[in-house]
Amino acid sequence: MCLQNFPCQEVERHNKPEVELKTSPELLLKPILICRNEAEKCLIETSINSLRISLKVKQADELENILTKKFLRFLSMRAEAFQVLRRKPVQGYDISFLITNYHCEEMQKHKLIDFIVQFMEDIDKEISELKMSVNTRGRLVAAEFLKQFI
Amino acid sequence: MAAVAVHQFAPCITCHAWSADRSMVAFCPNNSEVHIYKLSEDKWERAHILQKHDQIVSGIDWSARSNRIVTASHDRNSYVWNYEGSEWVPTLVILRLNRAALCVQWSPKENKFAVGSGAKTVCICYYEQENNWWVSKLIRKRHDSSVTSVAWHPNNILLATTSTDGKCRVFSTFIKGVDTRDSKGGSSSDSKFGEQILQLDLSFSWAFGVKWSPSGNTLAYVGHSSVIYFVDDVGPSPLAQNVAFRDLPLRDVLFISEKTVIGVGFDCNPMVFAADESGIWSFVRFLGERKTSSIGPKYGSQFSEAFGKLYGQSKHGMNNDGVDNSRQRGGVHENCITCIVPLGEAGSSTITRFSTSGLDGKVVIWDLESQQDLLEYL
Repeated sequence: MCLQNFPCQEVERHNKPEVELKTSPELLLKPILICRNEAEKCLIETSINSLRISLKVKQADELENILTKKFLRFLSMRAEAFQVLRRKPVQGYDISFLITNYHCEEMQKHKLIDFIVQFMEDIDKEISELKMSVNTRGRLVAAEFLKQFI
Repeated sequence: MAAVAVHQFAPCITCHAWSADRSMVAFCPNNSEVHIYKLSEDKWERAHILQKHDQIVSGIDWSARSNRIVTASHDRNSYVWNYEGSEWVPTLVILRLNRAALCVQWSPKENKFAVGSGAKTVCICYYEQENNWWVSKLIRKRHDSSVTSVAWHPNNILLATTSTDGKCRVFSTFIKGVDTRDSKGGSSSDSKFGEQILQLDLSFSWAFGVKWSPSGNTLAYVGHSSVIYFVDDVGPSPLAQNVAFRDLPLRDVLFISEKTVIGVGFDCNPMVFAADESGIWSFVRFLGERKTSSIGPKYGSQFSEAFGKLYGQSKHGMNNDGVDNSRQRGGVHENCITCIVPLGEAGSSTITRFSTSGLDGKVVIWDLESQQDLLEYL
């Protein structure tokens, strides 16, 4: 995470995250893809002034799929509060972070890394918890509903 | 402790420069202004604010003899500031750039300065008496990407540049009417303006922070892949050495003698490199003291409360978990060091004092007098 202020080479008086523009190939580094399996992976793309971390969360069944989608959409909608969250995930991934040199200037780098690592650890737990509560609720509702036929 | 003084001037500093007598420091607090602080009765006080740029200032250099400041900014402009009366008066520089200016340096004779830019060019600027402005001559060719750093050879003619295409180049900048042809200058002063003397293609990644040794025999620059390059015998058959190290990449280097180099960068701690008798360069040690983290990161204990914190944490600094003091580097700087400036007397070949500034907004003065093990390398 070694980023620096770097003005745009292509457009006058602009300063944009190069990882999003991808106009000058020499300013990008090789992306790193870390996979546990097809369903769980993490892509790290780096450039001279920004980096992008994209996550794909494990989705075992349909319910988890829906929950993940809804939950991460909920987070993405609130991307301003998170600062480093990208408003739209990269194609093929569930959620993306975009870290620029400005974030590195005002925040401590190791804390930023800790935050993302912890986010990854927590997201699985959170989804399975949500799934559990949906299941319990479903069971309760079904029980209540079926009571009237007794 | 090698750091003798720490000054927290601003939240974030992009670059800084000292006046000739070291009583004033000019720096850019990560915006379009340049602040000048003056030492009065052991306290630093803000003396002047230079406001002319309208984007972040990327380079400052203060000429020692003529007492002029040159600034370069991302707004494509550059100004030369003269101290007249009690005010700093700007003079426009016609850079003819259409992209941001990234770095600037006065030539040793202070009659020219070089500006590296995002337009993949280098401007060599000189003063034109009749129009009262600084005009520039562009080296348009060769660079395939932004020029990140420029360095003047002590002979006032050769200029070394590094670029984000990973190459380091040496150009001749002879300008008729400004430079006089020196008969004993050898082959270097024979070439025309903008002629490329040398292209070094050592790095696979972006190159930064080029510097010449005091005699001009050795050239050092760094690559973003945590490698520092030393080049001897700059000319048709250069001798290059790479020194790879295991820490984060460097941003800038400084020769403190012919055989010793200080590198600063993303590791927040200056690194010392030295050459032995046979001329083999190696990493010596870190200059700042580094606390060894005895306590490992305490994961696990905080899991239960994790999610509620997620929201709070994303805000500034995320400092509400307080576990990670053990991971702090314990050095003087807390963020990337971007700039290193010598504080020695002009003309001496060894420098024992220098200052660094970084994104944490500190200007730190280092003194090597107390570092016995390093003095023997000088």
